[in-house]
Amino acid sequence: MSTGLNHDTCMDRRHFIGVAGACLGGLATASLPSIAFAQVPGRKRLVFVLLRGGFDGLAAVPPTFDPHYQATRGALAAKPSDLIPLERGFALTPGLAPLAEFWKRDELAVLHAVAIPYRTRSHFDGQAVLETGLDKPKGSSDGWLNRLLTVMGGSSKGVSVAAGMPRSLMGPAPVSTWSPANLESFSNTFLDRLHVLYRADRELANPFEAALAHPDIDLGDNDKSMKGRKPDAPGSQIDGLFRAAAKLLTVEGGPNVAAMEMSGWDTHTNQGLVGGYLDRLLGRLASGLKAFRDEMGSQWPGTTVVVMTEFGRAAKPNGAQGTDHGTAGASFVIADGVAKRKVIADWPGLGEKELLEGRDLAPTLDTRAVLKGVLAGTFDLTGAQLNRVFPMSSNVRPVGRIFA
Amino acid sequence: MAALNRFGLGARPGEAEKIDDPRGWLMAQIQGAPPSLAETPPTDAEVAKVQADFIEANRAKDKDRRKAAAKAMVNLRRREVGHVLTTRVVTDRPFAERWVAFWSNHLCVSTANAQRLAVLVGAYERQAIRPHVFGKFEDMLLASARHPAMLLYLDNNASVGPDSPAVTRRRGRKRRKPPRPRRTDINENYARELLELHTVGVDAGYTQEDVIQLARMLTGWTFQGPGDRNKHPLGFRFAPRTHEPGAKTVMGVRYKEAGEAEGVHVLRDLAHRPETARHIATKIVRHFVADDPPPAVVARLAKLWTDTGGDLRRIATALVHSDEAWQEKHKKFRSPQDWVVASLRVLGTKEVPPLAAGALRQLRHTLWAPKAPKGYDDVTSTWADPDSLIKRIRTSRAFARRFGSSTDPGMLLDVVASADAELIRMVRDPAARPVDRVALFLASPEFQWR
Repeated sequence: MSTGLNHDTCMDRRHFIGVAGACLGGLATASLPSIAFAQVPGRKRLVFVLLRGGFDGLAAVPPTFDPHYQATRGALAAKPSDLIPLERGFALTPGLAPLAEFWKRDELAVLHAVAIPYRTRSHFDGQAVLETGLDKPKGSSDGWLNRLLTVMGGSSKGVSVAAGMPRSLMGPAPVSTWSPANLESFSNTFLDRLHVLYRADRELANPFEAALAHPDIDLGDNDKSMKGRKPDAPGSQIDGLFRAAAKLLTVEGGPNVAAMEMSGWDTHTNQGLVGGYLDRLLGRLASGLKAFRDEMGSQWPGTTVVVMTEFGRAAKPNGAQGTDHGTAGASFVIADGVAKRKVIADWPGLGEKELLEGRDLAPTLDTRAVLKGVLAGTFDLTGAQLNRVFPMSSNVRPVGRIFA
Repeated sequence: MAALNRFGLGARPGEAEKIDDPRGWLMAQIQGAPPSLAETPPTDAEVAKVQADFIEANRAKDKDRRKAAAKAMVNLRRREVGHVLTTRVVTDRPFAERWVAFWSNHLCVSTANAQRLAVLVGAYERQAIRPHVFGKFEDMLLASARHPAMLLYLDNNASVGPDSPAVTRRRGRKRRKPPRPRRTDINENYARELLELHTVGVDAGYTQEDVIQLARMLTGWTFQGPGDRNKHPLGFRFAPRTHEPGAKTVMGVRYKEAGEAEGVHVLRDLAHRPETARHIATKIVRHFVADDPPPAVVARLAKLWTDTGGDLRRIATALVHSDEAWQEKHKKFRSPQDWVVASLRVLGTKEVPPLAAGALRQLRHTLWAPKAPKGYDDVTSTWADPDSLIKRIRTSRAFARRFGSSTDPGMLLDVVASADAELIRMVRDPAARPVDRVALFLASPEFQWR
């Protein structure tokens, strides 16, 4: 990442907005936003990681203590000796080994039997509910992360560290998108001209302004080390994205809320056990989370990462050694000083009668209760503010045990 | 200009002047047979061989062979992508090609999380979608349901009736050694997406039980292996042994046990339902008119769908004669594929450079690779995010450098309905380098809309 703070030239795109007036010469430059360079001391940050496709919480965090675990999971029941024990007989699949390091440092809270407040097995509706923060898939196109930015006000900004703007960030508060590029670069004179044109386009003016405010992120040596590696090898693309997120979040005056996402979780066939497809995918996620913490360095304290999915998967395997869409699943909260080695779960059980509709892990914890607990602990928001972030949730109490 | 940009794939310089009857020009494109590709596609035998080699290499656990087979798969996919993009760039029936792309995305298959589909995605569009774009929707739906790409993509080939002969007979047998995991139950993936995405839509009021019953009706729908021993490698096959016996009820309609015919009946019924008409009409209007589809056009097309049993040529005709589609107040942001194709068309090239595929990857719009079975989204907010705008700007530089030197920048202004005075000044500015002016035009806000 470039760190030169040269206000006298137009060469550094990061400062484009601040100095655009000088570059544009005689053209009208009224009311350009300016970047606040002051660093807020003890800045708090949030990263929301959405696992799109419905990740299997029973595979990631197996409840080995449950008397029905082996029978219900059948061919997808893990051998307890292969797993990393947590507490009360909950365990992590070995792919998540990097998360065990967070656990040992009291930086990981595991939540289980978590589900969105709306019963659906549709990816589309499930993601809509999770990302809008409402209790049904209709009613608002704005995302809860965007409402969070509005509620916090001040210099709060959001960024999507993924190609494209996710629903969770959509809305009136200032948000942007970033993803790695390997296309041709361009001069700022060229950008100056386009800036004039884009200001005249009602729909495109705002996203264009937001794009100009980003730092040029150099993924550095780590990026080069990707060459010759398989794209799905652990520590490649996902690590790079997580490192980039850390860089974006630590820019002076940059965003304090980031949305990230990963796909590939819709494991209808052969999801595997130890070393299988899902275990390896979880390994990539965990490796990315570790890379994120490393990259945050001294700025890690005060940062919270939440990992969620639109629904868990059916408790029993389907006919193809995979799992069909289900209801409740697992969720992770990672932060400095988070719940001390606790799996937060009001365990519903895996017995035939305990399963929802005889097939899914039953929900006992609302995703909004988890997120409210996270926001209360990260940003010190009041109950009234939390209810503005999650409308129609006044009867949903924040989970207080996350930040014990 | 709406005929060329909104309905078509972008104007070439000077093309607008040659069209004096825009509606007639569009109507002519949707007569006769669906358009064919600009280049000869791989043969079925070649597709089957590449697929068979890959399966055999995996079975043999031979690393070098597997590597070579995977490379052949990627190359074949690249060829198919190249043929489609080239066709979109050179075609004289751009409306018909947009129509193909729309249906291919509606009933999409994807290699995003399934590299094993690489050989089949191009064949799927050629065989299941393209031949039916001016026919009945139910025939396209059936062709899609029977194609190996869809059978693999949404796992229907892995769906087995729990009370089918294949399962019950196995249960009765004494096991000598621990059997390798076998399929013994339905996989509801395809049935769910069939209802939610392909036909009636998520709001149609179906239940989990409907999904299960539909999945049971479609058990046994699979395909022949790619090897030479099969008469029709990769051809559709109904396997009675894995078909779930008994009557089934889906969305209130009871179907008697009828083997393969059950699936055919229920697919045809779903294609005709009013919920399907409304769901798909909304998507069509969103694609051709506006992100927020005007309800009057949707209602008109939905009624026509119901009246004609989903006659896609009649629907396309009605669209051409919908005044809303011609109004300037409605506009659509070009998807990355649209923008790349429109750029190459305006630059007058007949060649699709490798950098086009790279740009589409960066812009999240690689052919046949949406992340979810829903297909690619079709609204401004999906494609006009800050990062994507910056990537379009970068790509416009690369296109201009590659193809722009033989282009007169001033001519480019012919292909947009209207241009900001500043844009006209900049594109005509003799002091700026022509290549920069070409890039500026491709990156300009005016060129992002259709």
